[in-house]
Amino acid sequence: MLSNLYIMKNSLRDQRTQRGLSQAELAAGLGVSRQTVIAIESGRYSPSLPLAFRIAKYFNVTVDTMFDPEEEVEQ
Amino acid sequence: MKGNKGSRWYAPVTVIIGGSIIALAVGIGHGSSKALITQIITLVLGIGYFLLTRSNSDVGTIYGGRADERQHLVYLRASATALRVMLGAAFVCAVITVALNDNYWQSDVIGSVGGVAFLVCLAAYGDDDDDRAHDSEEAMRDETVRKADESRWEHDE
Repeated sequence: MLSNLYIMKNSLRDQRTQRGLSQAELAAGLGVSRQTVIAIESGRYSPSLPLAFRIAKYFNVTVDTMFDPEEEVEQ
Repeated sequence: MKGNKGSRWYAPVTVIIGGSIIALAVGIGHGSSKALITQIITLVLGIGYFLLTRSNSDVGTIYGGRADERQHLVYLRASATALRVMLGAAFVCAVITVALNDNYWQSDVIGSVGGVAFLVCLAAYGDDDDDRAHDSEEAMRDETVRKADESRWEHDE
């Protein structure tokens, strides 16, 4: 059901801080809300495939660099 | 994230139209003074909703028509939970009114319409199994049979 969504680990926070971006700036760049950036960074939300690709393209990395399907975030 | 400008008005206008219809019904059944109070409450609620749409919180962006994909998911989960609560409340109301030997058709209608709408929506939004002939195993078997037939025909010729 909806409560059993699979959440993956990601390196969004690391990538963002490496580039000196704020959460608001990244959110504006991706066209999502700041809360969504916070939720992805903290592992509470896994983005859709289109958004995952958008994030990877934004940072000029591959999707599997950004998201690690082997590591599931503890809920 | 970017909703159109008019989408900020959808929620407040919907509230005001719905409230005005209720106020009209109150006016017909309970007199104009009570209808006026209902209309004032409706306008206050409408203004409240409009102010809410300016907020950048999840609730504000959802009501303001600027929700992103996560906020759409929040909206869907809230809608699903609200439906369950509403159907539960209709069930409890129906049980109580039946026990009191009172008129229970309202709860019956709410419960039945909600339940039927849920099943219809499951069927409408879900995918069926019509494409199972193209399922990998069956498709491979069909392809093998077709190739065997072709080679047999070629051999016969």
